[in-house]
Amino acid sequence: MTAPDFWEVLNRAINTGAQTPVRDFDMKIFHEASRLVKEHDIKYDPEVYVPNDDSLADDVWNAGIELFLELGMYCMSSKRVIKFEESEVKDALKDVSDSVEIGEGSEKRTVTRRGIGSTKPPVIVGGVIESDFPEGETFIKLYQSIAEDPLIDGLYVGPPLHTSEGHTVRMGTPLALHLGRRMASWAREAIRRAGRPGLHFVSACPSAIADIAACNPEDGVRKSDGLFISVTAELKTDYEALGKTAYALDYGCIRATHGGSIIGGWAGGPEGAVVVSISDFIASVMVYQHNLDPVYGDHGLTRCPGPVPISSVNPGMWGTELTGQAIARNYKGPNGRFFLTAAGPGTEMQFREVAALCIASLASGRDLFCGGGIRRYKVKPMLGSALENKFHAELGHAATGIKRDDANELVKTIVQKYEKKVTKDGGPWGFTFDEMYDLETLTPRQKFIELYDKMKNEMKDLGLEFKY
Amino acid sequence: MAAPSLWEVLDRACNTGPVMATKDFDMKIFSVATRLTKEYDIKYDPKTPVTIDDSLADDAWNAGLQLFTEVGAYCMNSSRVIKFDESEIKQGLKELRGEAIIGEGSERRILKLRKVEDNSPPSIVCGGVIESNFPEGENFVKLYQSIAQEPLIDGFYVGPPLQSSEGRLVRSGTPLETHLGRSMVSWVREAIRRAGRPGLHFISACTSAIANIAAADPNEGLRRSDGIVSTIMPELKTDYENLNKIVYSHDYGCIKHVYNGGMIGGWAGGPEGALIVSIANAIMAVIVYQMSVGASYHALGYLRASTPNYSAFVTRPCLWGSSIGSQALSRNTKIINTAVAMTNAGPGTEMQFQEIVAAICASIPCGREGLSQGARRFKVVPLLGSGLENRFWGEVGHAMSKVKRDFANSLAEEMLQKFEHRITRESDGGPLGHTLDEIYDLKTLQPRKRFLDVYEGVKKELEDLGLEF
Amino acid sequence: MTKEEEILQNLSDAVQSFDSDAAIDAAKASVEAKISPVKAIEEGLAKGLRVVGDKFEAGELWLPHLVLGAEALEAAVKVLEGHMAIEDLESTNRGTIVIGTVEGDIHDLGLRIVASMLRANGFRVYDIGCDARTLNFIEKAKEVKADIIAASSLMTTTMPFMKDLVEALETAGIRDQYKVMVGGGPVTEEWAKAIGVDGYGKDAAEAVRVAKELVKK
Repeated sequence: MTAPDFWEVLNRAINTGAQTPVRDFDMKIFHEASRLVKEHDIKYDPEVYVPNDDSLADDVWNAGIELFLELGMYCMSSKRVIKFEESEVKDALKDVSDSVEIGEGSEKRTVTRRGIGSTKPPVIVGGVIESDFPEGETFIKLYQSIAEDPLIDGLYVGPPLHTSEGHTVRMGTPLALHLGRRMASWAREAIRRAGRPGLHFVSACPSAIADIAACNPEDGVRKSDGLFISVTAELKTDYEALGKTAYALDYGCIRATHGGSIIGGWAGGPEGAVVVSISDFIASVMVYQHNLDPVYGDHGLTRCPGPVPISSVNPGMWGTELTGQAIARNYKGPNGRFFLTAAGPGTEMQFREVAALCIASLASGRDLFCGGGIRRYKVKPMLGSALENKFHAELGHAATGIKRDDANELVKTIVQKYEKKVTKDGGPWGFTFDEMYDLETLTPRQKFIELYDKMKNEMKDLGLEFKY
Repeated sequence: MAAPSLWEVLDRACNTGPVMATKDFDMKIFSVATRLTKEYDIKYDPKTPVTIDDSLADDAWNAGLQLFTEVGAYCMNSSRVIKFDESEIKQGLKELRGEAIIGEGSERRILKLRKVEDNSPPSIVCGGVIESNFPEGENFVKLYQSIAQEPLIDGFYVGPPLQSSEGRLVRSGTPLETHLGRSMVSWVREAIRRAGRPGLHFISACTSAIANIAAADPNEGLRRSDGIVSTIMPELKTDYENLNKIVYSHDYGCIKHVYNGGMIGGWAGGPEGALIVSIANAIMAVIVYQMSVGASYHALGYLRASTPNYSAFVTRPCLWGSSIGSQALSRNTKIINTAVAMTNAGPGTEMQFQEIVAAICASIPCGREGLSQGARRFKVVPLLGSGLENRFWGEVGHAMSKVKRDFANSLAEEMLQKFEHRITRESDGGPLGHTLDEIYDLKTLQPRKRFLDVYEGVKKELEDLGLEF
Repeated sequence: MTKEEEILQNLSDAVQSFDSDAAIDAAKASVEAKISPVKAIEEGLAKGLRVVGDKFEAGELWLPHLVLGAEALEAAVKVLEGHMAIEDLESTNRGTIVIGTVEGDIHDLGLRIVASMLRANGFRVYDIGCDARTLNFIEKAKEVKADIIAASSLMTTTMPFMKDLVEALETAGIRDQYKVMVGGGPVTEEWAKAIGVDGYGKDAAEAVRVAKELVKK
């Protein structure tokens, strides 16, 4: 049997899938995940940040597929379950392409498979979660400053700001649509100012209509750019995500898919979460059509329980790296990782978190660092800058080729420096864009340049060799 | 004071306008409309389908303006009333440009203002079917090709969505509908390419904003010279779907087509109330949908809320309203106003042709700038619609630009007497008519002789009545 | 005209003049005169509302009149209710209907017309409004022990939700507890048959006729 095309997937989601109450679906996830964890004997080791056990990674992969075949994906809008046959899943995985081109003109980049232990540098998609930025000029400057770093291969833009044309934006209103389009045009202006008009970017509005309105081959999201399409934890989609997928296929732009599970949620503990992370990933492959170009994804982000969804400490780090390796070993396409930090910009802690995340991901065979670049959870206005993106990119290149056991030791050392500072709210808030940068010249202020150099030296002392 | 920007209008619609129960808003329309009808002494006259009374048209305009100033517009999603000062409304009306450029390349056309009894030719934007029951793909392309190959037409209307997409059942609000919106537009591009008119203007009328927006693409989709249809809902109502379409039309820079149907027997009350409320609706289109920004045109329709065929635009009270509404807007505004006709009878029937004539009597000699959306019947069987009735729509539209209102009045009366008694509940309004494959030879895409004979017969009759083609 | 006839006439007139206050006064007078409340409703108030409904059909009155007339009737019934046995009150109810426009569809005008006409004809109508989810129809029907569930749609793309309603009733094993009827602009008798509902009304008047037949069965 061949893999179902998207219209057949939609038909299952909209018309023919079995209608099920969401509670029943969620409980079934918990039940099946618990069973599979036992059957495959998957055990969490709190001492391990970067696992080095191929058979464990493969067990997780197989358990994840089994879980997905049992459950399918749940469409929240129709309350229908989208189910697949084993042969359909196998076929879709077979058809996945091993590379994707992003950007255009001189900014065209090819994201290819690196695999565990690869010595090829990753592709870096920078960005911040900038929902509290003011409209217009400051927003443009933020992205301009990130794009000006030559190591940046693309940008993540989203989610929407709090105002549009000076008026409060409420979700689902026409002002949100307008804002989606404005953000894309500001991103274009930013990359133009940075002298990189073809640079790839991803638009990540929560509503499909805003993302679709942002698309335009001339002045909006181009075909070499992407729409951010998420799997909602766990194993869920809705008409927003499906609408983005339908449009991306019709328009021909890149689908940047995202997914990951939550430890302590429907998946249960860390072991259940890694299995469900893989199921979430397979759901993305099947429903968001990874077998059709162009697509890249960042998946397997296994987030810690509690109010701050971070993965820079355990068990989140263990889970994310284990699923990352499971994907790297069993999936042909580009394998990205989304970065979330507990601390805010301009703090020692955030630099260390970035370092730990970069080192671990490279060892686990991630091909692409993407999304939010660096994100702090509880935001205040203008929290985000190019500086942490620069560190991210430079470290990504410096740590390329690192082995899993070495990475594990290094990460353990780094994590120990900040682990205790993770609080309910994450960590220190950090500094705002205008505190860190001189907005006239768009250069970091002296204090932060010094901090940057200090942190870079700290990493050098740990044995990393910077190429840039 | 300047007219409020779209962003200010949206702020009132989404954030700051006073919250009101729908029923209270509706009842307010009714009471204000009833009062104004009395104050201006507007009375329905069934004996005069096309009026020649200028002062009646001006009274209707003033009443409509007063009604909109008092009541404002209503956003159904936020339950907020969007209100405007008199000075804002006046300024908004003043800013209208009285011109809209549609289409591109050799198909570029300029919609210009026409006066009452203006001899200048009208613009013909056809369409003419509720093709929701059309099969996907080739037949859909052929339908629009059959319309686009008619040289008199300056553009056409496409919508609403079909019932299937990629062979799967389409439900409103689902991603299959989004895909269908884009598919339909690409079939339309194929149709106009085959007709040798790749720059021909069209307007897309998906029910959901997301489907319309997904259809927009400067290369292969809905271009900036094409248009998105937004609706003023009866009465004086909008919602986020329609506002989204307007926002996107501004952001993208395409043409806005606003449809506004006053409802006789609904919240406006009788024909008199519906007349002034529809004028208020048109003012709402100018202020809320910002018709003065970019290129836009408007279609004013009247329909009946009660039986037999509730969507008919060409019953007697609807024609009366349309003739006065046409003149009211023509005499008092720079709105580009076009006519629509939801007919009782289906394609290929004498009755539908007669209804088209009646609808045009109440619009083109009364100062409408053109025709849009074509003629169509509501309850449909698959494939109901063709190029033939659109050809008629265009030919009669041009012929009627040369006549005076009194002639139009007698012609409309003549037509009404021919078909009025056939609008029955038993027939669901009127004869169903014929399907595209019955009316046309789909290989050559030419009408079959039998239908051409009906066409020529009706035309001959009209010539005998004094209409010159 | 006897005193009773005069009061019944006042009740009817109050509804026909859409005057809730007058309807309440007439209802109080009716209670004082010890006229049977059932009679006051059926031969006074409902009679008046039927006249309003007929005039609407004939194009002489409009939707707001239907709504206001029904409100006057309801205001008067509230006065009378206190003086009626429950079974008497029930006897004035021709049938209980849950009505709404299906999911994704915000067209309410036809819905309001049909709801008002049904009220005018003695049905107890629960209007759940536009964009009503399948489960809301069913929950409401259970709650009010409805005889009929009536669904409206004005778009071909929302018609499939009518089918869902029938299927959901079947899945829940309660399909035989309710009559289902459909209507609205694009809805045809063929569609009604295809999805297996019990009744179809192409307009408000027919909807009333069909509803009357359905409750007889």
